[in-house]
Amino acid sequence: MKGAPSTAPSAAAQLNARRAPSRRAFWLIPALLLPLPLWLDPYQQYVANLVLMYVPVGIGFNVVVGNLGLLAFSNVAFFGIGAYTSGVLMLKLGLPWWATIVPAGMMGGLAGCLASVPALRGVRLFYLAIMTLAFGELMRWVYIRWEPVTGGSMGMAVPAPSLLGWSLDSESHKFYAFLALVIVVIIATDRLLRSRFGRAFLAIKSNEEAAAAMGIPTDRYIVLGFAWGGFVVGIGGAMYAALVGHLTPTSFDLTELILQFAIIMLGGLGSLTGSVLGTIIVTALPELFRDLPGFEELAFGVMIVLVILFLPRGLASLLARAHPIFRDRYYRE
Amino acid sequence: MLSLLPQLLVSGVATGMLYALIALSMTVAYRATTIVNFGHGDMVMIGAYASYVLTVTLGLPFAFAFVLAIALLFILGWVTQRGLMQPIIAGPHLSLAMMALAIGYALRGAARLEWGNGVLSLPRPYPQAAFMVGSVVFTADDLVISGFVLVLLAALFLVFHVTPIGKVIQAVFQTQRGAALVGINVRAFHAGMWGAGAALGAVGGVLLALIVPLSPDIGVWTLVRGFAAMTLGGFGSLPGAVLGGLLLGIMEKLLGFYVSTVFIDITAYLVTILVLLIRPKGLFGQHATLRL
Repeated sequence: MKGAPSTAPSAAAQLNARRAPSRRAFWLIPALLLPLPLWLDPYQQYVANLVLMYVPVGIGFNVVVGNLGLLAFSNVAFFGIGAYTSGVLMLKLGLPWWATIVPAGMMGGLAGCLASVPALRGVRLFYLAIMTLAFGELMRWVYIRWEPVTGGSMGMAVPAPSLLGWSLDSESHKFYAFLALVIVVIIATDRLLRSRFGRAFLAIKSNEEAAAAMGIPTDRYIVLGFAWGGFVVGIGGAMYAALVGHLTPTSFDLTELILQFAIIMLGGLGSLTGSVLGTIIVTALPELFRDLPGFEELAFGVMIVLVILFLPRGLASLLARAHPIFRDRYYRE
Repeated sequence: MLSLLPQLLVSGVATGMLYALIALSMTVAYRATTIVNFGHGDMVMIGAYASYVLTVTLGLPFAFAFVLAIALLFILGWVTQRGLMQPIIAGPHLSLAMMALAIGYALRGAARLEWGNGVLSLPRPYPQAAFMVGSVVFTADDLVISGFVLVLLAALFLVFHVTPIGKVIQAVFQTQRGAALVGINVRAFHAGMWGAGAALGAVGGVLLALIVPLSPDIGVWTLVRGFAAMTLGGFGSLPGAVLGGLLLGIMEKLLGFYVSTVFIDITAYLVTILVLLIRPKGLFGQHATLRL
């Protein structure tokens, strides 16, 4: 609060402070990003694309863990299912990449519904965590063993992506396609979280029993939250298939899971800004320390510990403190 | 086919003993603090590496290095609980789980930074031998591991059921506030038990390092099997953890031999998922689900 008056503020000023600032200014960010490929060399462009690719992955994860408040570790399963769906549709059915984005999201969403089954059976807390963890590892086993479709542990080469007949053969072409997708995902998730769905998620997160007592159909919202999370992460998987061009089961292991955890923990649980911020930090930083195996894990581990101890709402809370536009408020007090 | 059953059972029990020990070390920390340590696997890994450094790099005698590694891990567990978990203990469950996960993540990174991705092997301090009883082969590894775990089990049984410490553990598990009211120092107790869990994990880590190659990633492998054993036996139950570990070890061998070797890797995952879906409280556990 810059310049908070020492005397009691007038009622009008209070109202003004409560009103959320117009968020149209956010459009400046993609506008400023548009000329970015002019300055980046191919490797830097690849890293920029990697950041964009992880944005939906972080957002979907954050909806389940941060907004719904469920300790679900199945995000890498959604991610892998999305990536393999996209890859298999391109390789076996010859579909162009753009046509696989929605099916990849749908399969991710379906996996999300499946992962919500234990939560509906009343499995919570670390029981849910362990079970969803097992689900993710089981999927990795499926990628390895279902060789005719997934190519086994050798992996699968994915054809070059294309968008409506326009070939995405260079990193900068992918950048624009990814940017458009990420904008759609962010706006859609923002709308969802600011609707009664988002408020129901928050109610479930703060007190599930009270939410149920107030007549919120908690089961339905839990399935929906998982399905949306899975859908968005599945889209991220399709982007991954387009970006790296080669899918191997090792890309979807527990190390990947903890990396995705680092995104939402560092960025800030339950915050859309946090998902994006966390993605930038977690994806771009390791590229600086490629020659030191283990350094990235150590650094992120220590960073998460520090964030939990001193910034429980993540790095996004620093941004929110700096300017109210970054505040994630889904309801009026 | 069936004639191999005794052999499979023997090697299943030997592996299961190790799982039982790991599940038991996780249960000790869980019962004391009601927090599941998602970084426990990496504590086990660090314990194994500590014994490697002490014996191979520093050249200490094995028994001495073993004890020293256990002591070091006790201190590590005590310090992480006191310094990192205790400040947020009143916070949401999510941050506690994340904190444990992050500590494990940092430990794994530190191990990778120091020893790289290659595998190391801990030399056995005893001759590698095998004994035949009838048609069943017992290896020295089987006997050493099983013997060690049995001795530890007996000691733990005494601690939990005969000494006053066992009563304190039970009191804190039931109600922390009540325990504090009758004069138990709950904080010190939490840190101590977290340390004890890590120390027991270190024993598991050293025994594990005798039979599998050591790499920074064995922590994950350990954690998953420990969880599966705990789930099967029932979360928080000490006999459950032991029985769950033994059953898991036997199931891995039987499924791997009679069905297909591809099932060895996923037995733990299947067990976890099926038990939590069908009987979430496991064999001996308390209620585990929330009904609305």
